Amino acid sequence: MIRLRRSAGLWLADGLVLAVVVVWALGAQRLPEFVLPGPLAVARRLFALFSDPEFLYHTAASTCRVLLSVVLALVIGSGLALLQRAVPALDWVIRGGVQPFLNSFPSIGWAILAAIWFTPGHGSIVFVQVAILIPFCLINVGEGLRQIDREALEMAASFTRRRSRIAFLVGLPLLMPYLLGALRISYGVAWKISLVAELLGSTSGLGYLMLRAQGSADMTTVIAACFAIVALFVAGERLLLDPLARRFAPR
Amino acid sequence: MGEVPSAPARTKAFVAFGFCAVIALAWVLAAGRVPAYILPAPAEIGQAALKFFGSARQMAHLGATLAHIGISIAIAFALGVLLALAAHYANWSAATIHQRLSPFLNAFSGIGWTLLAVIWFGVSSATVVFSISVVLLPFAIVNLREGLLALDRELIEMGASFGRGRWRSFAAIVVPALLPFAAATLRIMFGVAWKVALTAELFGGSRGLGYMINIARQDYDTATIFTVILFIICAVYLADRSVFAPLERHTSRHFGRTGAK
Repeated sequence: MIRLRRSAGLWLADGLVLAVVVVWALGAQRLPEFVLPGPLAVARRLFALFSDPEFLYHTAASTCRVLLSVVLALVIGSGLALLQRAVPALDWVIRGGVQPFLNSFPSIGWAILAAIWFTPGHGSIVFVQVAILIPFCLINVGEGLRQIDREALEMAASFTRRRSRIAFLVGLPLLMPYLLGALRISYGVAWKISLVAELLGSTSGLGYLMLRAQGSADMTTVIAACFAIVALFVAGERLLLDPLARRFAPR
Repeated sequence: MGEVPSAPARTKAFVAFGFCAVIALAWVLAAGRVPAYILPAPAEIGQAALKFFGSARQMAHLGATLAHIGISIAIAFALGVLLALAAHYANWSAATIHQRLSPFLNAFSGIGWTLLAVIWFGVSSATVVFSISVVLLPFAIVNLREGLLALDRELIEMGASFGRGRWRSFAAIVVPALLPFAAATLRIMFGVAWKVALTAELFGGSRGLGYMINIARQDYDTATIFTVILFIICAVYLADRSVFAPLERHTSRHFGRTGAK
């Protein structure tokens, strides 16, 4: 009974999505294309974003930079969190100073500063994205390190003296849920917020493509790029993060 | 703040002071070696700050940003409450809201909304408010949903046995139980709003701090950019510490299930 009701709700949900697309198509017929292009035109452009070499270059550039930034931010954020745990005196400085500082730093501020400090290119964009993502990783991994069961580490210490073995066999698995949480949050933020890095002084990426298309009133490309970001975000969650989460799920 | 048993207060203060001193020293040294438009010296930022807080026009920009953020949070919060309640009480809409609308909004890029809104609403405050609200909305829906899921069913049943009025039981039981989640939602929204607001103002606004730092960027007035950034960091941090964190603590102590012990 419950299952029937749920699937009915889902049918309704998909029906409403379809209705929205129909309303969109009808509305687009009455409005000029630079205000609202039809769903078909957007779908064609969306396809081009993943097949046409010229568009694909921008899509690939954004994807590679997002993945690289997330990995770098995770490494640096975890490093800071470990430092905070290893040197108790620094805990206060990092948790009370560095973390709120980075967390409150406006993302566009990093983009502007990077545009002033560095020559535009992949490096400066990755810098901005990493700077935006670090606090999310630091907060999550730091929380994980605080939650680690000290008794489990003590037990491990009674079995072996090699600290690296303890870290890899006991510490890392205990930390895994928090690392995955950090990964998930920063992956989402990377696509949603840190694309701002591509708006200033960049010549590649979906953000740049959107801004350029908006400047030339090419609404089709703006909307298609937005949907491409939604698609890449969902694909990354389903193909990368969910399998990882299942693999390392706490048993 | 965090308790570090192994580091006594004096060491903590010493380390913090040393850390700040090292940063300040590095800043002064670095600023002396590069042109001011790349890294202004602390004194120049002090001057820019005085100019910033003394000028009525700059204060108007600050006021515009605060208004944008306040209105957006209000809109997103109200819509989030409506949608979360609709999904909770009208079963048929739950799948639409939680499995279609909320993931879609959650995956949509903030910059995309801004650029679309510029075309739809022009360069205006409406664009800025729209972009911020639509980014905040999924946070509100997801958080308030958690609150509704955590409602104590037995408490509601008990309420139903005391009185028949659904509105009365809603106002007396559901609303107080949701308050801690509402406070947490507001806190998250406030942090995210600041992150998005400046970007939206820079690309779609004709007023506000984001607009201002864009002008400063074109004039290579880096000192003003630093002033605005540092001001925002202080403002966000202080508001979080002195308004939102106490609000969250207060509501969860008075209305939360765990805090009542």
